[in-house]
Amino acid sequence: MELEIRLFTGLKCNNQELPCYGKQEFFLDVPEGTTVRELHRLLGIDPKTSLISLINGLSRPDEWVLKNKDRVGIFPPVGGG
Amino acid sequence: MKIFRVNMTNLTVTVEDVPQEWQGFGGRALTSAIIAKEVEPGCHALGAGNKLVFAPGLLSGTTAPSSGRMSVGGKSPLTGTIKESNVGGTASQKLARLGVKALIIEGQPQGDGFYSLHLDKNGIKIEEDKVLAGRGNYEVIKKLDEKYNEKIGIITIGQAGERKMLSANISIKDPDGGLRSAGRGGLGAVMGSKKIKYITIDDTEAPGVPVADPEKFKEAARVFAKGLTEHPVTGQGLPTYGTNVLVNIVNEAGGLPTRNFSTGRFDGANKISGETMYDIIVSRNGKPTHACHPGCVIRCSQVYNDKDGNYLTSGFEYETIWAFGADCCIDDLDIIARADRICDDIGIDTIETAVTIGVAMEGGVIPFGDGEGLLNLMGEIEKGSYLGRILGNGAEFTGKAFGVTRVPAVKGQAIPAYDPRSVKGIGITYATTTMGADHTAGYSVATNILKVGGDIDPLAKEGNLELSRNLQIATAAVDSTGLCLFVAFCILDNAEAFQAIIDMLNAQYGLSLTADDVTELGKTVLRTERAFNQGAGFTSRHDRLPEFFKKEACPPHNAVWDFTDEEIDAFWNF
Repeated sequence: MELEIRLFTGLKCNNQELPCYGKQEFFLDVPEGTTVRELHRLLGIDPKTSLISLINGLSRPDEWVLKNKDRVGIFPPVGGG
Repeated sequence: MKIFRVNMTNLTVTVEDVPQEWQGFGGRALTSAIIAKEVEPGCHALGAGNKLVFAPGLLSGTTAPSSGRMSVGGKSPLTGTIKESNVGGTASQKLARLGVKALIIEGQPQGDGFYSLHLDKNGIKIEEDKVLAGRGNYEVIKKLDEKYNEKIGIITIGQAGERKMLSANISIKDPDGGLRSAGRGGLGAVMGSKKIKYITIDDTEAPGVPVADPEKFKEAARVFAKGLTEHPVTGQGLPTYGTNVLVNIVNEAGGLPTRNFSTGRFDGANKISGETMYDIIVSRNGKPTHACHPGCVIRCSQVYNDKDGNYLTSGFEYETIWAFGADCCIDDLDIIARADRICDDIGIDTIETAVTIGVAMEGGVIPFGDGEGLLNLMGEIEKGSYLGRILGNGAEFTGKAFGVTRVPAVKGQAIPAYDPRSVKGIGITYATTTMGADHTAGYSVATNILKVGGDIDPLAKEGNLELSRNLQIATAAVDSTGLCLFVAFCILDNAEAFQAIIDMLNAQYGLSLTADDVTELGKTVLRTERAFNQGAGFTSRHDRLPEFFKKEACPPHNAVWDFTDEEIDAFWNF
C-alpha cells in the first residue's frame, strides 16, 4: 500500500536502501498492516526520539495500523505559541 | 519594594508602601488586583478614570532563569474587560532592581502635548516631550539610546498608541535594541490617552532584589535551569526554530486557520514554516536564536534580516506569521516580515492587525493573497487615514465597517492561530478567558496537539473544559511570577522543575508556599478579573464563540464548535 509521508523539523528518511533516503516529503510503498512504529523503524528514525505521528491529521499511537493512502506527518517534540 | 504612582492630571509622583494584601502579589496578580480595586469597571477605557499599571513578576530581577517578564494591566479599550498583557524585554528586571513593585499611571493631562517619564535610583521625573511624539518606535529607541546609553530600558508607544487606536500595543526594548510587545488589548491606546510617549529606566546603582535565602535560591534556580535546558521543547525546539515551528504541526493537524478562518490547512504552510524561516535567517546572517530578556535560557526569539542582510525584524513569532500568512493567504515570509516590522514600529498588535486584514480581505477591500495590497493597508494604518483608523481598531470594528459576518473575535478581541473547531480545548479558553480571545490564557494546544502534559483529543469535547480550566488557573499563577509562560512546556512534564519554581519563591521571600498555594493564587487572579468584567457588564452570554464556528464546518476534519452554553458555563465551577 502507498503512504503520503511528510517528515518535519529536522527529521528525514535515514534508510539508505529506500528511494526516499534523505527526503522529507515523499510517497512510499509499505506492506499491508504496517504500524506507525514499524514505519518509524523503516525510515530509520531514532526510536529513542519521542515522536508525534499525525495520521490524516489525527494523533495516533505507535501501535496504530496504517491504511492505504494515509497521509502521515511525523514530528519531534515541538512547542511555541 | 514600593508602589510608584504617577498622576498625569496634576503631573505629580507619589511613592507608597505596598499594602499587606498585595505583598504576595507580582505581575498579573498585582496588575489585576490594582485595576480591580482602583478602577471603576464602567469607566471609559480611554478616559481619566482608567489606570495603566506596570508590574514586574515576583521573580523578576533575580537570577531565576527566564524570569524577566512584565505584566501591563488596565481596562482594555478593545474588549472593555480587564486586561493583562505580558511582555519580555529589559524593563521588568530594571524596574524590579529599582525596587518598583508596581508603576501606576492615572489621570489625564490637559492639552495635546505628550510627556515622558524617567525612572532611576532617585525616583521618577515627568517631562514634556517635544521631540519624539509622532515618531515610530525604532526612532524612539535610537534617539533615547543616543541620549542616555544602550543599556537604558525603554517602554514606548508608536503612532498607533498616540492616535488611541484600539489595537495599539506597548513596546519594550529588548537587549539588542529590538522591540518586544505587550501586544494584546489596546493598552498602547491607554498609554496614549495618558499622553505618555515613552518611559526610560536607568537601573544604575539600583538597590537590587533582596533574596532571603541566597543558597537555597541558587540551588532551586539551578534545578529549574536544568529542567528547561533538558526538556526537548524548551531546550531544543524553541531555541532552534522559535515559536514558528508550530506552523507545520498545526497545519498538519488541520487547525491552522486559513483564509479568514474558512479552512484549517494552508497550501503555502511550509513556505512560511519555522524550518523555512530558519534556513532563510541562517543564509542571511541573522540570528535564529535570541533572548528577549537577559537570563532567558529558552531564547525563542530571532533576528530576521532582509535579502541584503540588513536587520528587518526580530521576535518574529508564530502568531504573527500565521496571521499575516495563512489567515491572509500570503506565503512569502519577506512580506510577512515587512508587515511585522511596520507593526512593531507604529506599535500595533500583530495578531489583531493581521486578523483584521483577513476580515478586510473577506470584505473585499483587497483580495486574499495580495501581499503588496496588505503592505499598502499597513501604510494606511501608519498614516492614520480614515481606512487606516478603521483597520487600527481591530477585527470586530472592521467587520462592522465592511459588513463581514465571519469575524473571528471573542469579547472584541481577535482569535489567534488555532481553529477552535479543530482544537477544542483552546476554544474553551477563547470563550471563557477574562481577556477576550487569547491563546496564552490557557494554552490547551500543548495537550491537544503537542502532547505536552498529557494527550487529550482535540476534536472531542471530553476533557477539554477541565484542561482549559486547569491551564488558565496555572497560567494566571505563572503570569504572576515573571517567568515566561513557555516554562509550562517543561513543568507540565517535569514535577521537579515545577517544585523548583515554588522553592525559588520561598527562598526569595522567606515563605513556605506549597503547590496548593500556587493554585489558589491562580484561582484568586481569575476570580478578581471576572468580578471586574461582571462590574463592566459582562455575563456568561459573552463567554461564547462567534456563530459561524457552529454553522460552518472546518476542513479537513469538517469539525464544528459543538459545546453547549451550559457546558461552557461550567468552566467557572471552581
